[in-house]
Amino acid sequence: MEEELLRVEGILKRFGGVTALDDVSFSIGKGESVTLVGENGSGKSTMIKIISGIYTPDQGEIIINGKHFSKMTPIQSIQEGVQVIYQDFSLFPNLTVAENIALNDLIISGAKTVNWREVRDFAREGLDKINVDIPLNVNVGELSTADRQLIAVSKAILAEAKLIIMDEPTTALTRNEVKALFKVIKDLNSQGISTIFVSHKLSEVREIGERTIILRNGKKITDQDAKELDIATIEYQMTGRHIDTSSIKYSKPKEEVLFKVENLNLSHGFFDVSFELHRNEVLGITGLLGSGRTELALSLFGQKPAESGTIILENKEIKINSIFDATSNRIGFVPEDRIKEGLFLPQTITNNIAAKIIDTLRNKLGLLDQKKKVRLGDEWIDRLDIKTPNGQLPASSLSGGNQQRLVLAKWLAFDPKILILNGPTVGVDVGSKAAIHELIRQLAADGMGIILMSDDIPELMHTCNRILLMRRGRIVNEFLRESTDEEDLNKELIADDDNGTSKRQVEHV
Amino acid sequence: MFKRILKSNEFLILIIIIALSLVVGSINPNFFTIASLFDLIRASNVYIILAFALLPVVILGGVDISFVAIAAVSSYGTHMFLIGRGYEGGLLLYFIIGCTIGALAGLLNGLIITKFKLEVFDVSLATQTMWYGFTLFFIGATSNFDMPEGVVGYYSAFIAKVTDENLGVTGLHVSTIYVIVIGIFLWWFLKYTMIGRGIYAIGGNRDVAERTGFRINKITMIVFLIMGLLSGFAGVVQSALSRNFNPTLFIGQNLDVLASVILGGAAIKGGKGTVIGTVLGVILTQIIRRALVLTQIPAEWQKFVVGVILIVFTAIPAIRELRRKKLGRTTNLVEATEEA
Repeated sequence: MEEELLRVEGILKRFGGVTALDDVSFSIGKGESVTLVGENGSGKSTMIKIISGIYTPDQGEIIINGKHFSKMTPIQSIQEGVQVIYQDFSLFPNLTVAENIALNDLIISGAKTVNWREVRDFAREGLDKINVDIPLNVNVGELSTADRQLIAVSKAILAEAKLIIMDEPTTALTRNEVKALFKVIKDLNSQGISTIFVSHKLSEVREIGERTIILRNGKKITDQDAKELDIATIEYQMTGRHIDTSSIKYSKPKEEVLFKVENLNLSHGFFDVSFELHRNEVLGITGLLGSGRTELALSLFGQKPAESGTIILENKEIKINSIFDATSNRIGFVPEDRIKEGLFLPQTITNNIAAKIIDTLRNKLGLLDQKKKVRLGDEWIDRLDIKTPNGQLPASSLSGGNQQRLVLAKWLAFDPKILILNGPTVGVDVGSKAAIHELIRQLAADGMGIILMSDDIPELMHTCNRILLMRRGRIVNEFLRESTDEEDLNKELIADDDNGTSKRQVEHV
Repeated sequence: MFKRILKSNEFLILIIIIALSLVVGSINPNFFTIASLFDLIRASNVYIILAFALLPVVILGGVDISFVAIAAVSSYGTHMFLIGRGYEGGLLLYFIIGCTIGALAGLLNGLIITKFKLEVFDVSLATQTMWYGFTLFFIGATSNFDMPEGVVGYYSAFIAKVTDENLGVTGLHVSTIYVIVIGIFLWWFLKYTMIGRGIYAIGGNRDVAERTGFRINKITMIVFLIMGLLSGFAGVVQSALSRNFNPTLFIGQNLDVLASVILGGAAIKGGKGTVIGTVLGVILTQIIRRALVLTQIPAEWQKFVVGVILIVFTAIPAIRELRRKKLGRTTNLVEATEEA
């Protein structure tokens, strides 16, 4: 390793009785790219907060630029060149790109008035440093997530960053955008700026990081060259248990066709989509962001009704023109964004479970039967193993994995014939993921038809009987799980996307 | 750059104003006289100042309805105080006292909002009622028509005079200068000062603004100081123009002013709004009012028409958004469609 930029030594951090970090040490060299991996609750967010000065460690030292800190304030951390890019990017949607980039500097310099020419020059300089071209006078709210991220990066650079920490930066990016971002990161590294990249997506861990640090239960488990690690090893190091894929019991689909879609169209969404779903089958539909996968899911659930085509459920043609149509045909939908679309966060866990079937919980007077409701809630908390001391706590008190189970519980209580899952394990850690996959297979075995939309290849391989690939709004290929392997599917998935790398820049003119 | 102007909200209102003027003018040519223009400006001035008072609050992300009551208590309070002491001078002293009372009342709103972290609307609902009540009970309950010597001729203080066969002698009223001066100052303040940018930043994303280092409470106080000050000013101008000081001045007109501000392109949820747009918004409302008189459409229609235009205006961004959503996220579809 070259010159050292940051070193943490024996960091210990407790919250009440919980040890969040236990004697963690590592160092980061100048221009080095490190990936920090761990399940929820492994201590990686705590670590970031300690490096950025938000938390003070109970024991241990932080050494930046040769200076020793046992206590560090956020301001000191920024002065030493640490910049954290959070998932919301800290941008103003109503202000222009130029102003967003320059505001920080204006505030720090204590300026009273704004010189707009300087603001534009400053912003241009920031974008030039990462070699991207985004129009300066467009409002940030009109830009794609990828562009907003790049703006956040250039803001960090302009704040004289020596270390940029990115928290799950690729969550909402298309494959091409991820590539562009990785190129920017590599570029920064070659300019001597170090990066810490926090990620859940294991395939990216190997792609970007020179070194991978894995935390589990507050302890550092692994610290080694990313190239020496394979995905299975990383999974094992993160969870402490082998996720055995050989013993998976897949449900066996029957001949009977449960659900059938013919020539479904939605302009600007998808074209001529036809497929069959058999009883006891888990059907995977994959495709990159922008392939029409999400639009198809929303169509089947009536949120963006298809413009033409036929849908047949149990040999009867049905019309799905609204969400009401979908639910009255007993089609359930677990959305991608569980927080925004799936749950009533301030409401109790039990109320969330009961939300979909509140009509069936009436007593003789037609009023809500509270006892029945609580019983229902407890039953599902138990069946899906939702970790909570009490069903009367708000849904917001649950961790990500448990919230996802709660969304599932809500729909399972509704007892759907068809359940459409869109990215059911996005942002869920490896351990909970395996449990959700198990549940999906079990549901299919019990007779529910399952359509699983995902771009997580291992997820598809662990749950599906058959996988359809979408590209530019069409189904272009079909894979049977038994006769496909992960690598092939991955290659197919990202194959043609490589032609259009520069398109993104054109879009927002 | 040119494309951006064409797409802007201000440009759209300007087009509507021109189109409407052409229609009204072709029905009643009297609309196209200089005198009629001056008269329109004079009627608009006070409402433009009131809209200026409200604009920063709206950009900040709040809806205030108490500014009309602040205008009433400041102007009526000042007048009754000065008349009681036999004051015979000009408006300058009215402005000084009126603006001070207004500013203090505005600061009170700001103080309650920042101290107790309350919603702007809730607080203003209370202070509106409070200030009208205070004025009626403690200061006086009837309109006062006594004018000091120095204020009597104010309604006809013209910069330029014209004689018109229908309207008689009229002209460009001196209050136009106030509007221009305040407008330029407010434009500069919002666009070129860090506090002004802070108002937009807070309206755009409050949490990020706080994290970035904007001092939310200080900026909020300044916004309400401006609101109170300009409301007091507008109250004095309006009362002097109409030659009577009224304890229930502007009562019930707060939402009309808000409508003009929104017509001018300000977003009710904050973060958006311009001085030019606000001026155009008020002028458009005033033209509609006039148009209905000149074309002899019953006056009751005025509010209806303003309402319809307001719906159209608030719908435009929503429609754009819907279109964008309908276009979906599927990339490269243009080619895909061409291939098909």
